[in-house]
Amino acid sequence: MTVYITSTGAFLPGPPISVGEVEGILGAVHGKPSSLRVQIQKANKIETRHYAIDGNQKTTHSNTEMASNAAEQCLDRAFLTRDKIGMLAVASTQGDLPAPGMASMVQAELGLPAIEILTTHGICSSSMMALKAAWNSLRLGDHEAAVVVSSELSSRLLKKQRYEAATESTYASKRIDFNTEFLRWMLSDGAGALLLQDKPAPKGISFRIDWIHGFSHAHALPTCMSVGSAGLPDDERTWQDYDTYGEAEKAGALLLRQEVRLLDNIVRMGVDGYLRLVEDGISVPSEIDHFLCHYSSHHFRDKILDLLDAAGVGIPEERWWTNLYTRGNTGAASLFIMIDEFLRTEDVTISDGDTILCFVPESGRFNTTYMQLTAVSS
Amino acid sequence: MNDGEIAIDGSLGNTEPFDSKNERVLNPHAQRCLQQLLRVWLGFERDLSTVPLLRRIDLGTYTIDDHLCLLRNLRQQVIEGSRWITRTASSFDRNHAEIRSTIISHAVDEHRDYELLEKDYVASGGDLNDILGMERNVGSEALHGFLMHRSSRSNPVDLLGAMWIIEGLGEKMARSWAERIQELTGLGEDSTRFMTYHGHNDGDHMERFYDMLDEVCVDELTVRSIIKTSRVVARLYRLQLEEVEHELE
Repeated sequence: MTVYITSTGAFLPGPPISVGEVEGILGAVHGKPSSLRVQIQKANKIETRHYAIDGNQKTTHSNTEMASNAAEQCLDRAFLTRDKIGMLAVASTQGDLPAPGMASMVQAELGLPAIEILTTHGICSSSMMALKAAWNSLRLGDHEAAVVVSSELSSRLLKKQRYEAATESTYASKRIDFNTEFLRWMLSDGAGALLLQDKPAPKGISFRIDWIHGFSHAHALPTCMSVGSAGLPDDERTWQDYDTYGEAEKAGALLLRQEVRLLDNIVRMGVDGYLRLVEDGISVPSEIDHFLCHYSSHHFRDKILDLLDAAGVGIPEERWWTNLYTRGNTGAASLFIMIDEFLRTEDVTISDGDTILCFVPESGRFNTTYMQLTAVSS
Repeated sequence: MNDGEIAIDGSLGNTEPFDSKNERVLNPHAQRCLQQLLRVWLGFERDLSTVPLLRRIDLGTYTIDDHLCLLRNLRQQVIEGSRWITRTASSFDRNHAEIRSTIISHAVDEHRDYELLEKDYVASGGDLNDILGMERNVGSEALHGFLMHRSSRSNPVDLLGAMWIIEGLGEKMARSWAERIQELTGLGEDSTRFMTYHGHNDGDHMERFYDMLDEVCVDELTVRSIIKTSRVVARLYRLQLEEVEHELE
């Protein structure tokens, strides 16, 4: 069974927030402006992003709401009645509730009756995991339509109160704790949704899913992006091993961390995965018309370009397309938000038969995922 | 370099072990070979993270004792390295005069590098006699045995695969180990001179490497032999590093 993306939707909470306004939303920790913010923002080159919290760090939209809003928009644009939807797959780094799975909550919000659900848990690549599972369900003929949603509300992890409460953490004891602060100036909120069907939409452009592949390197490489540990080399406790959640928070075990030093591995493993696909004849670089690459920061764009070029599998820069700079790095939601705007933007002409390569690397513990789409116009 | 700030700025410059901005046009076989070599390298580099001593560099628990252990074990490899490389040069006939010249000059550059290692060892608080008295570990035996065997064959072009791995590692030592080791152990720059020096030098070596590859890698058989040798060397080099903690009594 051939499967198509026949509709898309996105939801970005609140107004676009400029570089200089970010700290006003997330809050200055102990009232002191960050000494790292400018440097990190300069490197990622993100101009605007959105937050589902206000300037008092109060949540304006739940993760479930954002996911549902994106799905609603996607379904409103679809040539399909909702009773045809057999499956809902939802991806997020952290739903509103640790349990049950976020798909249950989104299903309730959407009011889709008696469908099959799936929640995927991970970081950026969880969107691709959800998409692959839904794609396979349709390929097997289990359903004729599925909605896949990815949504992130990371600002709740990044607001000043989190850092202020971590009184016995590396963040409190170090003059500069780059690893703990890094993602604070990188991530923001948003949601994206895709509708998968076993036939193309009757009007406009649909994307046929040609293949989805992933390669995870957790067996060899250490954890690079995480929440749940205090970030000390000799402390193996995770947040649930502390006597109270209060103690875990004090120790900094609830802060989001990036081992910045290990980050280059994601570029290398990303290129390694692509070389595998080229070697196996699955992807042909010269045949790619559009490259939608989720990179977390502009800093990594050149690195990926250079290494692909060095390997002789470069994709010319004019074929790259992203909305990172205006929509922000929304983690798992990024690719779907990108696909949604790519389909609508006037910057790019998408022609029947165009090949689109999508790449979502996840630095968590180095999972790299790839998808190829072909544009089909009705 | 603390906390990776510089790495994010990008001010560290080129952090990849390859001349990635290359405009060089390689012949199609050499290009295919390079692509596969890159995959072998990426796999090798990833798997180095599983070597306990090197993982401690990643995790931040690497100690001065670890450093002394690493240097002791590297010395034999470096001494033997200059031997197989000179033997490789002498195994090329006059139809390969160009590559022979390149390899000879490479060998001249590096054949006394082990003296730098000895100085690093002493600067790191080690006793000179300990490093001088160190014998090859199990992995060094295997790696050296393989390289001497291959380099004794006539026109051993497959050893470009060995150079790729070993040069790449030199670059990696300079790029991601040297400063990190100083930071973790509190040792000074004089504890990692071998790593730093070797890395700087290897940039030029990469240039020459691409030229050699373009010259000799002109058919599928050669591609396969270079790739196979690179795989064997990657595996045996990792074995050598895994064996550093099993010092022979």
